[in-house]
Amino acid sequence: MKIVILGFGAVGQGVARVISMKKDYLRSKYGLKPQIVAVCDHSGAAIKEEGLDEKLLLETKTEKGKISLYPSYGAPGVDSLQVLEDVEYDCLVEVTPTDIDDGEPARSHILKAMEDGKDVVTSNKGPLALSFQELGDCAGKNGVELKFEACVGGAMPIINFAHETLAGCNIESIYGILNGTTNYILSRMANEGSSYEQTLQEAQEMGIAETNPYQDVEGIDAACKIVIMANSILNLPVTLKDVDVEGISRITSESIALAKKEGMLIKLIGEASPDALEVSPRLVRQGSPFAVEGTLNVATLKTDLADDVTVVGKGAGSVETASAILSDIVSIWKIRK
Amino acid sequence: MRFNLVLDLQDVPGKLMEALEPMGRLGANIVAVIHQRDIKTERGTVPVQITIEGDKETLDRVMDALESKDIQIMEVDGVLRKEQITTVLVGDIVEKDVQDTVARLNQLEGVRVADLDLKMSDKPENSATKMVMEADFGLKKQILKNIKKLGSEKGFLVINEV
Repeated sequence: MKIVILGFGAVGQGVARVISMKKDYLRSKYGLKPQIVAVCDHSGAAIKEEGLDEKLLLETKTEKGKISLYPSYGAPGVDSLQVLEDVEYDCLVEVTPTDIDDGEPARSHILKAMEDGKDVVTSNKGPLALSFQELGDCAGKNGVELKFEACVGGAMPIINFAHETLAGCNIESIYGILNGTTNYILSRMANEGSSYEQTLQEAQEMGIAETNPYQDVEGIDAACKIVIMANSILNLPVTLKDVDVEGISRITSESIALAKKEGMLIKLIGEASPDALEVSPRLVRQGSPFAVEGTLNVATLKTDLADDVTVVGKGAGSVETASAILSDIVSIWKIRK
Repeated sequence: MRFNLVLDLQDVPGKLMEALEPMGRLGANIVAVIHQRDIKTERGTVPVQITIEGDKETLDRVMDALESKDIQIMEVDGVLRKEQITTVLVGDIVEKDVQDTVARLNQLEGVRVADLDLKMSDKPENSATKMVMEADFGLKKQILKNIKKLGSEKGFLVINEV
């Protein structure tokens, strides 16, 4: 299977790493031989029809910062859409940074690949949160697969879990903690009694919160994930603007202390149900499935046959997120081989 | 064993049939049904008394089935069913707001504010209050919606239960 990776940040590098780590396993278990034929970053591309070397890709990126400096096969300044036009491949792995205003450039990449009859795996929330229906229709029209397990909850299985493992169940609603940064901040505030500002700063120093934490702490990131699940799992044709969003920046140590007195915690919860499409701070019982700490993500699916089913997992991390991408690649391979 | 239930049904055709359906399906015996459409609650719903008979497991399954159909069970064997609802409000809350909020919640039928806790902060906008309410069974969603509306009118952050 020939793979093009667009975007070579933490997730893209994670994909190269897991493909390199799991080469023998994929071959013996599934007969899958993944070949990375092109990688693009902001500097340009590295292209090799017989397959690039994963270790050399990672080395080049770490040491030189630019993938276009890949020995002999680097192509500085080459545009990613041009790469999709020129290179022969089977599957696009779209892992450029998420943009929530217009979903670009990922949206164009994904549409171009699907219109060319290629399967797509992505971790990019932007295009899906803004135009899920359009992308889904395009995949259907061209008879290709569009997989996005890594978009929601990183390594936590949820999309494919709902579609495949829970096949036959009608899923009525979804509740979850879908952002690791805010869960870390709220957990620390509950344990230490510290203020929001102080805890955010600490999280930034530890690299858990970004320098500009807006999308995480104001609930935008979680709202994107709720939109993706509402479309994919509940078949609701909604977009980001349909979600009522309230973040955690107004949560105080006083409110957390009051909740604790009642045996409760405050968590940022995303809800997709016939009643509501919202992200907001909510009270959860200590000891309940939502009382997870640190950067963990959790989601509960309410179903007609299986009742409540809850999954927990790591919501971020390079190799962790890449594990979800690899599982999508394997399921596409099972369909295509 | 027997359960004497009072169900709170909307006054529209088919609602009584809908409530009786799981009883027959799950194998509970219906001993009596008292349905007087002209006696209504203030909400405009019709209280229907139903007595069912069966083993405990069957009756529990019937109760679950009724709840999953969003049919409100107001009373079981003469005891009103209540549930507790907790909410936390954050913002520049002064005494007047608390009084007003409690008064407006108590005005809702079937709701009583049972406990109240206030934590003032050095920064007024960081103050918080916690309210615990007791409400008739089945009103939770409606009450949470009301609190949210009330809070946003006053510019408070409302933290409701999941």
